[in-house]
Amino acid sequence: MRISRRWLGNYIDLPDDNELLIRTLTFSGIEVEAVEELPALPETVLTARILTAEKIPGTDHLMACTVEYGGSNPVQVVCGAPNCRPGMLSVLALPGSVLPQLTIKSAKLKGVESHGMLCSERELGISDTHAGIIELDVNTPLGLPVNDLYELPDTLLDLEITPNRSDLLGYLGIARDLSASLGTPVKFPELLPIAGADCPAIDLKLILEDSENCPRYTARLLTDIRVQDSPQWLKTALIKTGLRPINNVVDITNFVMLETGHPLHAFDYDQLAPVEAGDPQPAIVVRKARPGEEFVALDGKSYVLDDQALVIADGQKASALAGVMGGKDSAISDSTRTLVLESASFNPCSIRATSYKYKISTDSSYRFERHLSPALPVDASVRATELLVRVSGGKVCHALKDAYPEPERALYLALRPRRFTELIGYQLEESAIKSYLEALGCRFVQYGAWQEEPLTDPALIHCHHAEEQKAGKTEFTEIDCDHALYFQIPPHRVDLTREADLLEELARLAGYDRVPQKTAISLIMDRHAHRVQRAIVDHFALAGFYEMTNYSFCDPAQLADLAFPSEELDRILLRVINPQSSNQSAMRISLLPSLLANLSYNLNHGERNLKLMELARVYHRDGDSYTEPLFLTALCTGQAAPEHWQQKAREIDVYYLKGIIESLLGSLNLPVTATGSMPRPWLVDAENLAFYSGDALCASLGRMRSETLERFGIDIHKLKQDIWVVEIPVQNIVEATRGISTEFQPLPRHPSVVRDISFVIGLNIPYGDIQAAIKAVDPSLIQAVSIFDEYHGKQVPAGSRSLSLHLFLQDSEKTLTDERVDQTVASVLKMLSAAWQIKMR
Amino acid sequence: MKEKLREVADQARELIAACQTANDILNAKAQYLGKKSLINQLYTQLRDLPEQDKPAFGQLINELRAEVEQLLERRDQELKQATRELHDQTREQDLSLPGCFQPRGSLHPITIIRRRIEDVFIGLGFEIAEGPDIDDEFHNFDALNTPPDHPSRNLADTFYLDNGYLLRTQTSTVQVRTMEKYPPPIHIISPGRCYRNDKPDPSHSPVFHQVEALVVDKGISLADLKDTLQNFAQIMFGPQVRSRIRPHFFPFTEPSAEMDISCVSCKGTGCRICKNSGWLELGGAGMVDPAVFKMLGIDPELYSGYALGVGIERIAMLKYNIPDMRILYENDVRMLRQFSGETG
Repeated sequence: MRISRRWLGNYIDLPDDNELLIRTLTFSGIEVEAVEELPALPETVLTARILTAEKIPGTDHLMACTVEYGGSNPVQVVCGAPNCRPGMLSVLALPGSVLPQLTIKSAKLKGVESHGMLCSERELGISDTHAGIIELDVNTPLGLPVNDLYELPDTLLDLEITPNRSDLLGYLGIARDLSASLGTPVKFPELLPIAGADCPAIDLKLILEDSENCPRYTARLLTDIRVQDSPQWLKTALIKTGLRPINNVVDITNFVMLETGHPLHAFDYDQLAPVEAGDPQPAIVVRKARPGEEFVALDGKSYVLDDQALVIADGQKASALAGVMGGKDSAISDSTRTLVLESASFNPCSIRATSYKYKISTDSSYRFERHLSPALPVDASVRATELLVRVSGGKVCHALKDAYPEPERALYLALRPRRFTELIGYQLEESAIKSYLEALGCRFVQYGAWQEEPLTDPALIHCHHAEEQKAGKTEFTEIDCDHALYFQIPPHRVDLTREADLLEELARLAGYDRVPQKTAISLIMDRHAHRVQRAIVDHFALAGFYEMTNYSFCDPAQLADLAFPSEELDRILLRVINPQSSNQSAMRISLLPSLLANLSYNLNHGERNLKLMELARVYHRDGDSYTEPLFLTALCTGQAAPEHWQQKAREIDVYYLKGIIESLLGSLNLPVTATGSMPRPWLVDAENLAFYSGDALCASLGRMRSETLERFGIDIHKLKQDIWVVEIPVQNIVEATRGISTEFQPLPRHPSVVRDISFVIGLNIPYGDIQAAIKAVDPSLIQAVSIFDEYHGKQVPAGSRSLSLHLFLQDSEKTLTDERVDQTVASVLKMLSAAWQIKMR
Repeated sequence: MKEKLREVADQARELIAACQTANDILNAKAQYLGKKSLINQLYTQLRDLPEQDKPAFGQLINELRAEVEQLLERRDQELKQATRELHDQTREQDLSLPGCFQPRGSLHPITIIRRRIEDVFIGLGFEIAEGPDIDDEFHNFDALNTPPDHPSRNLADTFYLDNGYLLRTQTSTVQVRTMEKYPPPIHIISPGRCYRNDKPDPSHSPVFHQVEALVVDKGISLADLKDTLQNFAQIMFGPQVRSRIRPHFFPFTEPSAEMDISCVSCKGTGCRICKNSGWLELGGAGMVDPAVFKMLGIDPELYSGYALGVGIERIAMLKYNIPDMRILYENDVRMLRQFSGETG
């Protein structure tokens, strides 16, 4: 709902600070979705009268007007609005005026000088209306700054009203809720008792046939009404809320709807038929539509109704779709002299069904669908009547006709302060409970055990679970009502039916920020490290590796077998003072000896194809202190993948292990930026590799030397298989990947192109260099280079090999042309020839 | 002209009938219907005919054109249909031959059980805290209220290193380190390796694994400990499992307890595994001793807490019916292969 701050200010004193107002609304549950500032207009935007308006020859709609705006001489203004005519009062912006969308300057249009502009509402920024220039009441003084007319500056607030709060669909409801939050009183408009005059010639028969769907119907008769344009204050109020002014009667019903939240409707009395021809009085009949009954709505559309639709009919036919839309025939027109003002209450389900079925949604149906209590129509009717008398000069006939067969019973709710503490988490003083609820219109009745005596009116008291208990199997705990506050719930709050509802009101009005936070999160766990560690082990397990768990000890003699330099051992080895045996007399500095022992054990038990790994800490003395870096070490031999009837078994080699490492680092979003060698005494020379991401060593691999293997009891003469080792410093990967997260890239909109090239090149040129050089030819275009064949043999000269590569080309801006692709491939080949003297095959 | 028309028509019919691929169809289309096609050439030749013959021949060329279009379309559909039939033809193959896959390795049962325990506690709102295997006497003994002359400090029970440190005998060291570093509330588990100078036998290992839980918050009572134990037992071993605590003594808890669960093998009726008692001992527990809190600067009047610890090997042995703890440290792939189907 869109509201004007200035209008709201008529009902409650608001904080000067808009931010504070917005915060108060939002944090009491009325979310401010959008704020629109209506700035003050310059003092040079004034009320003015058009004296003359003459069409400019050679144009189809431009007029040259002389316009007076008080004091000084009339000015000449060119205007193209269709409603521009002599004698009318409008708004003139003088040269130099800065309007929201434009600045006014003196100009010459079609040879005619123009010293200002006559404005539409849109040009002033107060509404979207742009059908013509503003037309003001002829009695408006000239030269008046429009700020006064439109109550500028102002702020418009778009409020999101939750569906349970029908009471907030009017200014007074918002004011009431704000009053509870701000602690300032609401200034309700005074409702004086209205005495209806005796009008023998004018009367109405009110027949309420369907009180289930219309629990209450009130009708007020007013005569001697003068239907005309509304006064400016009324127009201004409606315009700002987004409604178009129509005439003073319709505008007043709309104004009262916006003020009270209760929709009203006015019928032209003289268009209503009696029940039987010849009856002196016309009738209003609240009934279900007759099947097939026709109804022409206010907007001119006609509908064929079924017997589910509730209508307000006269003696003969439907005059309104109840609570949804009025009818065309009985609408207020300029000639209306006597009217019937309807203020009623409808069953929300019926309104919702009708609105849905006939696809009509109006300000009225929107409100009735959200349930308005039958206790409300009278106040709205009184307020509208008073305004109609004041604005349209009407005279009230008779007392209010009020069909209300079964008056609603008052509802009393018990509220236990203890329950607030239990449910909301802190203690709210009883005085605060009372003042919040009283500000909402609840009436405090009594404290303590319930006594029937003080209540005279028929009442519903919700305290016990009696009804629910009958319904279900569960025996609910009897509520102790001996220490409860009892409140009478006001009729506008149809959403308050249980103690829980009252507790919610108190919690939101006192502010959710008052609710204490019990536990702060301690964030002890390194979740990233936990995830990465699991991912690394899982990666190897999925690749067929078996996880070992070995003691944390090692045999210093075996470290010597690995040819660890003895000075390094002296520096980092931690010895156990009281070992169980000499081969457990130091802390492991590497997982490799344990894994070699595991390999030897399993080979001795007849296994041939072994993939073993262990994730564990190793222990390094570091001066007086020590470190416990985490490693994953893997040892493998034999088949990489088992033999299959379609395919021979693949033996583990450097490319198999490289693939495992590259896919692991890829799965962790960790790019390998460099590779290097990792010489170790136990690794074969030049068959080892280290992988780096930036400065961080992420993995290394190598083939074990025969000498080391034999020292660990592995007989390579018998085994005749290579043994490979991979070592992953887990902590390096954990740190290198910390903070890395996938960031979605927009998908390429243009197709990629694949081109293949084959050439013969010297054996000494590494593929990695070739790949990098090709990419560098046009990094924005060449997305990837991949090799699909390598050949050396009789077909190519000795000392060289043939390589076949796919080039993946893609332009992010446009679809690649064949020319562009050809050019790029040619540049690649040219570069290769120049750099390495390749030969084409 | 008539002759020519017939010739073109015959050629076209022959060519279209011989089309074998979508590409052939395209070529035939170009040859007969394209801008420079044979039929278009016929239209050009129409100009040279006598005026009275033009409409009749024009009609004939139109008919020829329509026929060629129709033939092309029909041949195109025939080829597509043939491709479809080929695509959907059943292939000769033996569906009982084995599939091709990379066999999974396995996690070690200790890792599998450790992860399950971690996940149970993470689900209950706990965090995982870690600390070093190598620690000092303060964190392993003093801060845990162990008297200086307590036998567990002996060389016969605890491994000591040549740099003055020791190998932690329980992961309570991590609890101490966490309480040193973080204010309450604390809800952690600390899984990890522990060391005791026990000779390996069916139920002992000098290196073993433990998970300890520690909760420090306002209003924590023995009831919370029982809750956690029961939740853990049921999630870990199944909904039918019951749990209980018995009075015991530990220096760092007051009151202290030992935790039992109903025997997972005989469901509590009594068997060899539970030595006919119907209950299995799971680990130790208790309310954190106020002396521990005081030593770490936590106000024991404001806060209370519980700690509990279980052995991972013991749970793995119970869960998988492994009779001897040493099997877990043999690392025989024939044993590990049995766990390929267990998710961690």
